Amino acid sequence: MTSKVSGNSLHGKSGQARLFLIESRRFLIIFLVASLGLFAAINAMPEDPVSLRVKNPDPERIQEIRDSLGLNDPAPIRYLRYVGSFVTLDWGNSLISGRSVREEIARFLPATIELSVLGIGFGTMLGVMLVLVAHATGWPWLLQPVRGLAALGLTVPIFWIGLLLVLFISVHLGWLPVGGRYDFAYGAPSGTGFLLLDSLLAGDFQAMGIALQHLVLPVLTLGLYPAAVVAGTLEARLSEGYIQRLITALQSRGFSPVRIWGKHVLRLVSGPVVTVIGTQSGALLGGAVLTETVYSWPGMGRFLVDGVLNRDLFVIQNGLLLIVVLALVVVTLSDVVANRLDRRLTSKEDSA
Amino acid sequence: MIWKNLVLGLSFLLGMLLAGCGGGSAKQENAPTTFIFARGADAQKLDPADVDDGESVNSMAQLFEGLVGFVPGTLEVEPRLAESYAISPDGMVYTFRIRDGVRFHDGTPLDAEAARFSFDRQMDPDHPAHFPDASFQYWKNLYGDVERVEVADKMTLELHLSRPNAALLSALASFPVWLVSPASLEKHGEQMPFHPIGTGPYKFVEWRPNEAVLMERNPDYWGEPKAGFERLVMRSIPLNTSRLSELMAGKVHGLDGVQPSELSDLEKDPRFVIHQAPGMNVGYLAFSMLSERVQDVAFRRAVAMAIDRASLVRLALDGSGSVASYPAPAGFLGIPDDEGPVQYDPEGARKLVEEHPEWKGVPVTLATFGQPRMYFPDPPRVASLIRNDLEAVGLTVEIINREFKSHLHATRRGDFDMALLGWMADTPDTDNFLSTFFHSRAAVMGSATNISFYKNEEMDHLIDAALANPDPEKRAALYGNALQVWARDLPLVPLVQGNQITVLDKRIGGYLLSPVGNHFFGPVYWVSESD
Repeated sequence: MTSKVSGNSLHGKSGQARLFLIESRRFLIIFLVASLGLFAAINAMPEDPVSLRVKNPDPERIQEIRDSLGLNDPAPIRYLRYVGSFVTLDWGNSLISGRSVREEIARFLPATIELSVLGIGFGTMLGVMLVLVAHATGWPWLLQPVRGLAALGLTVPIFWIGLLLVLFISVHLGWLPVGGRYDFAYGAPSGTGFLLLDSLLAGDFQAMGIALQHLVLPVLTLGLYPAAVVAGTLEARLSEGYIQRLITALQSRGFSPVRIWGKHVLRLVSGPVVTVIGTQSGALLGGAVLTETVYSWPGMGRFLVDGVLNRDLFVIQNGLLLIVVLALVVVTLSDVVANRLDRRLTSKEDSA
Repeated sequence: MIWKNLVLGLSFLLGMLLAGCGGGSAKQENAPTTFIFARGADAQKLDPADVDDGESVNSMAQLFEGLVGFVPGTLEVEPRLAESYAISPDGMVYTFRIRDGVRFHDGTPLDAEAARFSFDRQMDPDHPAHFPDASFQYWKNLYGDVERVEVADKMTLELHLSRPNAALLSALASFPVWLVSPASLEKHGEQMPFHPIGTGPYKFVEWRPNEAVLMERNPDYWGEPKAGFERLVMRSIPLNTSRLSELMAGKVHGLDGVQPSELSDLEKDPRFVIHQAPGMNVGYLAFSMLSERVQDVAFRRAVAMAIDRASLVRLALDGSGSVASYPAPAGFLGIPDDEGPVQYDPEGARKLVEEHPEWKGVPVTLATFGQPRMYFPDPPRVASLIRNDLEAVGLTVEIINREFKSHLHATRRGDFDMALLGWMADTPDTDNFLSTFFHSRAAVMGSATNISFYKNEEMDHLIDAALANPDPEKRAALYGNALQVWARDLPLVPLVQGNQITVLDKRIGGYLLSPVGNHFFGPVYWVSESD
């Protein structure tokens, strides 16, 4: 998703403004295409979500409810109302639970963000550390786990790894909880919905410990794939000729490996790594469905999948569109950051 | 800089993580104060008048009670929040004497006026608690004959009927008319379905959707026994394997939604007790009367004779169920406990098929669905076993496998040749099965439960007459006649009755499997060390 904008035009104030313009135009187009596509898909669905909600529907009552929801209006009006209500954050109620979709998302999104941020953070650290340490030390056997990890993270189903971890660590050894976000034998802190933040704010370290224990296995599982992707990207970047030349140059000046790898090379490769983090986060915003399922994690993935399976109209149309928008924001941001990192580097290299 | 901070922050978190592993270990020593139960899905709403899913009812069963209720473990009706009740000789007036001294969880005293609220809000479209998006789907079906509800004096409530209804009493014990505190409307308005206030042994604390419903002991409960635990948590854990892992790791004390195939491991484990009994359900194969392909009753009979239902129970339910001989479970009023009019007879079926060459050629479709239900733990497997049986007698079958809601959509429009589906009864009355399956009233395009679109005046008349007749013997005879009409026309073939299964830690006492299919955890308690 890296913008194909030539480096030089991005220098200076006007370049920044132009970048902003390009990004926001892209943003708007994708939003319109996504909302239209979603609306068309929902319209093409033959089932009536209102009558399917109940086991023994009463046709008259179903029509009353459809009328009150405006589902019997012509399609263009419904589309305009859809976009209008999405933008004004008036997302309606779930047909199944009757709860406000906005409140539901405010509840499930923090759980997903908590897990994704830690998962990607852990995965990135693991990937970067393994690759850099392997190269810096020059111990080739350290690269084996990197390749093993890449193979594991990319090929073995996350589902299976998660189940294996649960069976061994939680059931067999009994070291960690099996699933869920919290142990309800204890009262849970409330507030923002981010359990770690809430328990920290409340100064409740027991609650924080419990919440952390519940995070270990899901974060491990979720981090594997980003770790593999980051490691792969890094390996590719490091094998590029100019980096190899730079390393040789630095080595010939007698710099310590720590300084070479931990500072110069890390800075050189940080751009693409940020891009990878961005795309991975974008993908995870919709919830890591499989990880959430294995660990009974009450996040966005399960919420949206249930929404689709239940034909929960307002959950589908607003929830999915929100994910598209959020993913766009994250990817755009990471593009901007990666661009800046790269630009800083190029200008430095130029002046050097 | 960015990197330094990021690394710093993450390593701090990692440190906390490791610290978390060591301290605060959540091991429960003997006699836990919280009972934790795991099920496969969360509740949808906690409003008795507007739900039909088992998980909502299972949560509400700890919080709410009706005027009458089922004697635990049976289908017999006994007074509950009513101290006593009387039915007028003509069956037109039901009088309830409300129990003295009962209070809702919010302190509202229970009297006839308060009890009336839960009825009025369903029958009166102008009632402030008749929420615009609520379905109130049961009112018309189960209580539609109630014309008005009157407060005769402070503690006496009268239901006046428009015509007698023999199934009403057991319907009154069912969840849609469990009593909700009228003050909850004032306090919570349209948010009422998420703040349940009843009279039950447990009271509501918090609902964390897709996570758990948290409850605590109601210390002022009017009845005996009082709640056996300080807290009750009903967690939702969608994946079967994860739910079982929680049980194995001792993190939950019980669960349901076990697949019959998973039972064999649990049976060997001395830590658990398996409660298993027939559920109030029938899994069936329906023929759509709207399809040209299955118009011939001889064809339907051939299909019925070709299906080996005993091996369905063995192979598709792993033995956790029984053959359904009739469209309602044996033991229900008017339903005999015998092998029924449809027998497994592949020879006879083959002969019929040979007599009708026009049945061959174009395959007949059999619609099924993916998600497990109590009556069909694995519906695609049921479908392929049936296809084998039908192809063994010379028919060709094409299976159409859909996701459950799409399947429901198609069946409610009668859009199939043959379809697999089932029914879990709302009330323990034969009427709840027969009128659902065979009454023309239930054959409305798009919302049919009579998915065969079977319309027969004689059948309608028999079902209506049985419902209006207060004499159980006469009712049973009328249902007997209705079964004969069914056996003659065969719009559907009942296949199996699935078992309900609950697995509990063996130190949990006081649990009785309810034939209605809901969990009542009020009397459940922790048995002090038995081994």
